[in-house]
Amino acid sequence: MIKAENLTKSYGRHLAVDNISFSIEKGEVIGFLGPNGAGKSTTMNMMCGCLAPTEGKITINGIDIMDEPEETRKYVGYLPEQPPLYFEMTVTEYLKFVGELKKVPKKQIKEDIDRIVNLVKIADVKHRLIRNLSKGYKQRVGIAQALMGNPPILVLDEPSVGLDPKQIIEIRNLINELKKDHTLIISSHILPEISAVCDRVLIINKGVIVASDTPENLSRRLTGSDKVYLRIRGDEAAVREALSGITSGDRITVAPCQDEDALEVTLEAEGEEDIREKVFFALSGGRLPLLQMRPLEMSLEDIFLNLTTVEENA
Amino acid sequence: MLAVLKKEFKTYFITPVGYIFMGLFLLIAGITFTTGNVFSMSEDYANGTLSGLIIVFVLAIPLLTMRIYTEEQRQKTEQLLLTAPVPTWQVVLGKFFAACLLFGLTLVVTVIFPVILSFHGRMEWAVIIGSYIGFFLLGCAFTSIGVFVSSLTESQASAAIITLFLVLITWMIDFIAGYMPQSNLSGIIFAAAIAVILGLLVYNSSRNLTVSGLVILGGLLIAGAILLIRREVFTSLITKSLNWFSLTSRFYNFPRGILKLSDIVYYLSFCGFFVYLTSRKIEKKRWS
Repeated sequence: MIKAENLTKSYGRHLAVDNISFSIEKGEVIGFLGPNGAGKSTTMNMMCGCLAPTEGKITINGIDIMDEPEETRKYVGYLPEQPPLYFEMTVTEYLKFVGELKKVPKKQIKEDIDRIVNLVKIADVKHRLIRNLSKGYKQRVGIAQALMGNPPILVLDEPSVGLDPKQIIEIRNLINELKKDHTLIISSHILPEISAVCDRVLIINKGVIVASDTPENLSRRLTGSDKVYLRIRGDEAAVREALSGITSGDRITVAPCQDEDALEVTLEAEGEEDIREKVFFALSGGRLPLLQMRPLEMSLEDIFLNLTTVEENA
Repeated sequence: MLAVLKKEFKTYFITPVGYIFMGLFLLIAGITFTTGNVFSMSEDYANGTLSGLIIVFVLAIPLLTMRIYTEEQRQKTEQLLLTAPVPTWQVVLGKFFAACLLFGLTLVVTVIFPVILSFHGRMEWAVIIGSYIGFFLLGCAFTSIGVFVSSLTESQASAAIITLFLVLITWMIDFIAGYMPQSNLSGIIFAAAIAVILGLLVYNSSRNLTVSGLVILGGLLIAGAILLIRREVFTSLITKSLNWFSLTSRFYNFPRGILKLSDIVYYLSFCGFFVYLTSRKIEKKRWS
């Protein structure tokens, strides 16, 4: 449904998004995960036609969004990082304006407002000025705005930022509701936030996609111990011999350690099993002192350390 | 476009801006009319009162346009407009028309003054209608400057001040023009300067040294050719050009009862040019 090819965006010399490609199928729920300034918002802005890519292209249903901007924008409802609200309007006035702006037929505007107002649960504030609404309500009015005209694709940039835990759950339920008939693209810098609702997660860091997988696979890779880093005192032949029972020789790399008189060894299991215990017994059996052992995939872990802030029992 | 027009027009009356603009303008118009026409028993409405009101409008114009784009940028609502299935120029045009509509409505209210006068004397309606058309066109041209300025900044105050400054400058052009050097040489230097500026503008947008060089060379050659064929063109060229560009000097044809197509076209293309500039400015954000 949406396809991005070699997308690049640079602001002067600063490269915000660096040559990323992805494609999103109809009905999928995709999460963009990354620390602040990773390029999530820039990517989303480009998908919605708010920013033009420096290089590369985005197609929606096979149409390049730069070729037919007005046509393709009809397919996308967008909630920017900061909801674009006119504070001096009431909620209904605002939604009506958005409907007219999006060229939704007059009859449908009224129906849409009635339906959406109930869906995002803002019916009780619909005649109030947006200025006077609380942050959670403003956020929901922002989502309501994206839903006007019932676009098949919804792009929500950090929909739950700045909300309290109860509101976060409400927004999450709302997203689960929207999932039924929209293709959703959501960004966040909080992992559990994304894994709760998304089918697939794209992790973006410094403008590059570093991982793209289901939330389950990603969390397994995070805690995964099928690849370990070892620091062993001994000579290479003995180490290789001792470890040969665990995995084949080409999955073992050995290099001299720079800090101390030891070897740095990385070891990858053949299956997806936890090999740490085996490694321990194999080395102790060979009387090779094990100085250090830790699961690898540190690069991803590091990213996540930056990314994930602990979510209070929401 | 209609949606934006409606929204902007409504906003004028949700916020106090619309009331302040209409109220102040009509108050001063009323005072001018009462003192200029009623108390002094003068029938001279088009040339006297209405033309005098231009300066009031010049001072009030920033009020009309200062928030028109600054607020979109400040409240981050422009992302909504940028991602809407509407081309930017239509959004800008909607905003521009909303301001013109409010100004036009205010102007319509002042029609009551010549109607009152018509009970007591013979009015030259053709002249009055002509002046109103002229006033409206002039006002639209000023408004288009204001709309453009408001797209440049996020602060209403700076938008207002810059607009006022620019409008006053255009207002003063007639005055300044009279003091410009009149000699042939100054005209030639002026023409050369324009050729160089054009070349620099081309260079700024294309970064192509050859093309901009050709533009400068071409401009100088044309100027040189004209110099050989019709030397008198360069006499007081600066004054002539400034007068041609002046918004206000064209206005004075209208109260005289002269409705020139070229004047109307000039005002409309002036507005069109600034609406175009504004939408380019907004579009540029996509590329920055």
